[in-house]
Amino acid sequence: MRIHRRLILGLGIAVIMSVAAIGSYADETCNSPYMSGLIKGQEDFVHVWTLGVPGMGDGSDKLVTIDVTPASKTYGKVIHKISVGGRGEAHHMGFTDDRKYLWAGGLDDSKIYVFDVGTSPSHPKLVKTIDDLPAKTGYAGPHTYYALPGRMLIGNLSNVADKGGVTGMAVYNNKGDFVAKYDMPASTIKQIKGDGYGYDIAVNPAKNALLTSSFTGWNNYMRDLGEVVKDPEAMKHFGNTMVMWNLKTMEPEQILAVPGAPLEIRWALPEGQNWAITAAALTSQLWLIKRDAHGSWAAKDVAAIGDPAKIPLPVDISITSDAKGLWVNTFMDGTTHYFDLTDPEHPRQTYAKHTGAQVNMVSQSWDGRRVYITSSLLSKWDKTGKDNEQFLRAFHWDGHELNSAFEVDFTQERLGRPHHMKFTANPQRVASLTGASLR
Amino acid sequence: MRRTGVAAGAVATVLFAAAGVASGSEDPGRATAPRLEFRPPPPGSYHLQKIQSIADAVLLDSTGLSVRLSALTQGKITLLTFFYTYCVDPLGCPFARTTLADLHDRVAGDRALAGRVRFVSVSLDPTHDTPAAIASYGQAFTADPKFEWRFVTARRVPELLPVLDDFGQDVSVDLDQEGRATRTLHHMLKMFLIDARGEVREIYSLAFLQPQVMFNDIKTLALETSPSSRPDSGTPRSSALADRSRQ
Repeated sequence: MRIHRRLILGLGIAVIMSVAAIGSYADETCNSPYMSGLIKGQEDFVHVWTLGVPGMGDGSDKLVTIDVTPASKTYGKVIHKISVGGRGEAHHMGFTDDRKYLWAGGLDDSKIYVFDVGTSPSHPKLVKTIDDLPAKTGYAGPHTYYALPGRMLIGNLSNVADKGGVTGMAVYNNKGDFVAKYDMPASTIKQIKGDGYGYDIAVNPAKNALLTSSFTGWNNYMRDLGEVVKDPEAMKHFGNTMVMWNLKTMEPEQILAVPGAPLEIRWALPEGQNWAITAAALTSQLWLIKRDAHGSWAAKDVAAIGDPAKIPLPVDISITSDAKGLWVNTFMDGTTHYFDLTDPEHPRQTYAKHTGAQVNMVSQSWDGRRVYITSSLLSKWDKTGKDNEQFLRAFHWDGHELNSAFEVDFTQERLGRPHHMKFTANPQRVASLTGASLR
Repeated sequence: MRRTGVAAGAVATVLFAAAGVASGSEDPGRATAPRLEFRPPPPGSYHLQKIQSIADAVLLDSTGLSVRLSALTQGKITLLTFFYTYCVDPLGCPFARTTLADLHDRVAGDRALAGRVRFVSVSLDPTHDTPAAIASYGQAFTADPKFEWRFVTARRVPELLPVLDDFGQDVSVDLDQEGRATRTLHHMLKMFLIDARGEVREIYSLAFLQPQVMFNDIKTLALETSPSSRPDSGTPRSSALADRSRQ
């Protein structure tokens, strides 16, 4: 491994200074806040977990790497892709605590792929496939990959028994071995009944708090969206709760009523802040989860996103590193919104731009100057015909306007449907002019 | 709580040492100390996951004798961390020393834990952290004869690498413009809590280095093996929680 060679070289020298692990206030793409190697400057690569499309290229799910180093000759171009040899509804991914590996999963086949992005970020390698999640847990549809020290906490969407939304969280160690499972609560806690559904997970270490949200099961997310919305019974099977867990005990402590499928969760992590935020997809509302004077958590809808009557379907959010701003993508109307969160009780939309016929994920750089957007939601939920645009679009943000930087057309490139994005930086730049010596 | 000279020395180091900063685009920024804004769950009220077993290896103790890693990670509750003697980053090894000194005081003050807990510090630099060097370094930490605090190194780097891999302890070294190794070593500060059977039961990175929580974790492990000598507070619910986690 590269780090071994580097270590051997380095230990020939007498005195070594340490640069230790980093705790930071937030993350450039809303990862675990206590990971090492957060990129606070210019990211070099954007990795895009991409759903395969039958008849397009090799048809497989793949990790696509795009060069975003401004001075590079291949800036804005696809420089690497690695197929996983099948199509399992590629969706989300997450770094391990040391940011050396990227775990990426399939919502349909429940497989988890581990990519080495630390050795050579421009050329990730598939190093392990974990396929025992259903057998070990009974869960299906691994969605969120959240790094804990030495292990990965995985939020799931479904289960193998009835493929509904009742599910739980799984813990694997960084070697890929199963450690534990925790069912989402379906019981009643403090007068609120849980629905047992799951989606995103987010940790606040200083508060020993683990917050989870809820979406829907395989029966819905792998079914044509048009059919789902016309089926009253199917529409009953969406999550309406969030759960506050005690991270140390992994016990649910509070269930919060948040109707309309609360999705991505972002903590405000600067010191003194006491809240997290989420967007409910079906009701198009921003919800604030805040601790009250008595120490209990309360959920409150604090702002509409677009016109809820038109069901714009907010699908992803990205909080700024100072927790004073929030990007929100609404899928149906293809709009990217910016909310001022200076007063989190009263978010104000200060900017909106039509960024595509359909837009899904949004990720910003740590400094907030660059914003990346992808188009695909789910293979069965994406639009059809000419509105089925499939792209990654990069923008510069000057605080007032999103200005186009580049675009990769995933259909033209025969890649598939781009979904989740993660950033890496070139280690040669960290080592400064020493790249050749590392090899 | 009694404060040792070790802790005071570590604090002084923290105050006067400068943080290293990586170059290039992967800018980690300045580290922040962990915060504790909650009341830790009482010992025995929760179950610690069995995260991983530990592969055995042969290391060197501070007298220069070979020692099996398994001999240092079994038989007692063990808190293991990696260090090097000249590490100066305020939130790296010096911060770890402060945390360990705090925990030493807590453990030493709990009669139920007497003789049941050890600390192990493994050097990341076998080349310069010789047995003599770690013996000298460790003198200040091992002054308490009733407490086992072992400092170990390796004969050579290749003998250390499998240990680092097994624990998932990342380490890298910056190179200078000529491609030569510099004196900057990057590592993610982690501590590993290991039960008496040699299983890793908790891992603490910087944001989780909260001494009160760590102490409760140690007592929770102690409760697993000695139900008759449970430390004070808390109502054990381990069996129910074990069922819940279904490991």
